[in-house]
Amino acid sequence: MMTIVQILKAVSSGEQTAEQITRAALAKIAELNPTINAFVEVFEQDALAQAKAVDEKRSRGEKLGPLAGVPVAIKDNILYKGHKATCCSKMLANYVASYTSTVVEKLLAADAVIIGRTNMDEFAMGSSNQTSVYGPVKNPVDTERVPGGSSGGSAAAVAAGMVPLALGTDTGGSVRQPASFCGVVGVKPGYGRISRYGVIAFASSADQVGVLAANVQDAALGLEVLSGKDTHDSTSLDAPVPAYTQHFTPDLKGVKVGLPKGFLDGLYEDIKLRLDAAAEQLKKLGAEMVEVDVPLAKYSAPCYYIITSAEASSNLGRYDGIRYGYSAQEAPDLNAYYLQSRALFGLEVKKRLIIGTYALTSQRYEECFLKAMKVRELIRQDFKKVFENVDVLLTPTSPTTAFRLGKWGKNPLSLYLADLYTCPGNIGGLAGISVPYGKDKKGLPVGVQFYGPILQEEKILNAAYHLEKSL
Amino acid sequence: MDITKKDVELAGKLAHMHISEEESSLYEEQLKALFNWVQELSAVNTDGVTLTQTDLAAFVRSDVPVENEALAQELRNDFAAQENACAKVKKVL
Repeated sequence: MMTIVQILKAVSSGEQTAEQITRAALAKIAELNPTINAFVEVFEQDALAQAKAVDEKRSRGEKLGPLAGVPVAIKDNILYKGHKATCCSKMLANYVASYTSTVVEKLLAADAVIIGRTNMDEFAMGSSNQTSVYGPVKNPVDTERVPGGSSGGSAAAVAAGMVPLALGTDTGGSVRQPASFCGVVGVKPGYGRISRYGVIAFASSADQVGVLAANVQDAALGLEVLSGKDTHDSTSLDAPVPAYTQHFTPDLKGVKVGLPKGFLDGLYEDIKLRLDAAAEQLKKLGAEMVEVDVPLAKYSAPCYYIITSAEASSNLGRYDGIRYGYSAQEAPDLNAYYLQSRALFGLEVKKRLIIGTYALTSQRYEECFLKAMKVRELIRQDFKKVFENVDVLLTPTSPTTAFRLGKWGKNPLSLYLADLYTCPGNIGGLAGISVPYGKDKKGLPVGVQFYGPILQEEKILNAAYHLEKSL
Repeated sequence: MDITKKDVELAGKLAHMHISEEESSLYEEQLKALFNWVQELSAVNTDGVTLTQTDLAAFVRSDVPVENEALAQELRNDFAAQENACAKVKKVL
């Protein structure tokens, strides 16, 4: 698949039409999707109509949008009017969006081509894409392994060369971790940078839309189109959106990169080797490496599981068969109606709803939910302090590389710890990017992650751009 | 933290979800592991920590009814049936 930069050049010069590029993407999807299972639906007719409209616009001599003719995949929890959005759950199997999300509106306004919806963990709850009602996604690097999750379909679609850009959502690492597993770039901007209007909610204080792309420059171009204030989302931030690619500097001189040492103890050898190599390379590129202490960052993961599960228990309350979701066919009373309707949630979703509901009971509210909220506040203060002294932080994206499909222990902690390095980004509202930096001994991609303060995505993009270029 | 099957069943009831015997046993074990891990948070001193308060009034639009028949019709069109300028939904019970 061509990069976004190459597509923009080809379409604007007339070297290739948007229709040709779209047909090439559709052919690649038809060839690989039966194996990879990244797409749950392809919008072939709509995509071709959009591509033809871009070509007509060009032939009329009109100015083309910043993503003219670029095929883009959207995760199955993002609304696009008239199209299904199921969260890969039986609960929403027949749900058709009645309006379009702001992110899709922005893509369409930028002349992008929406090519289809991608597979995901049910309701975005998971790190391996094994809880989807449509079946698991296979990692294009090794089809015996998971692509990560929950935006596993989006990451796999980019890694397999089906599309140059895909949207995901990231509540605890769901864009960055699959990016790391599949060897692509994944960006979760700071909380509020991108509108959540029309994105099916999991945990509203942590959910963010992010982008997956084959390289940092493409990711930056996508992010630029999607970012900005939206009157439909009161949590979106009213701040100018920089032209991110214009902020790529000639080198990293003067850039301070923090290494949160205590947070990195006990890393697997392969991951540690790549992280050390990245730190060494950054130094060569002119960055100043500084050891920093973020003492409470290690508590992000337990905070995350309490807070997001509690928010989910509220957000997913709407799937009662009356307001949204599957409706029970024959129920003798209202309670039975709810129970029958809500029986369509999968095991992982049910478990998170139970965790969240339990954490909010009067018995556990102070000890669990309130405590987690207070620790979250302290973690945020920790990060704020750290970013007074450094520009970005460097961490691994994930403690492991892609694991085998079906590796799904009864003890949930092993899987929950997969989010160890990505959760702090959501708990702290930080901007984060995962960029591939080499492979482990098995030949599987290893991603490293940069964190930056809110509204300073250009800093993490610049650091990742240089690291990527140096490989 | 001591989690019992009863706790799981209570949470299931509050969440309007039927939890089978098998699920109950599975969740009991998993919740025990999770909530014991969460107890690590008790090592953090949170005395005096106040949560950031949001001024909701700053984000809520004024409560003024807006008449927009075109939008209303568009919304009604999402429903299979309409009656007297209202969307008609199926009987629940």
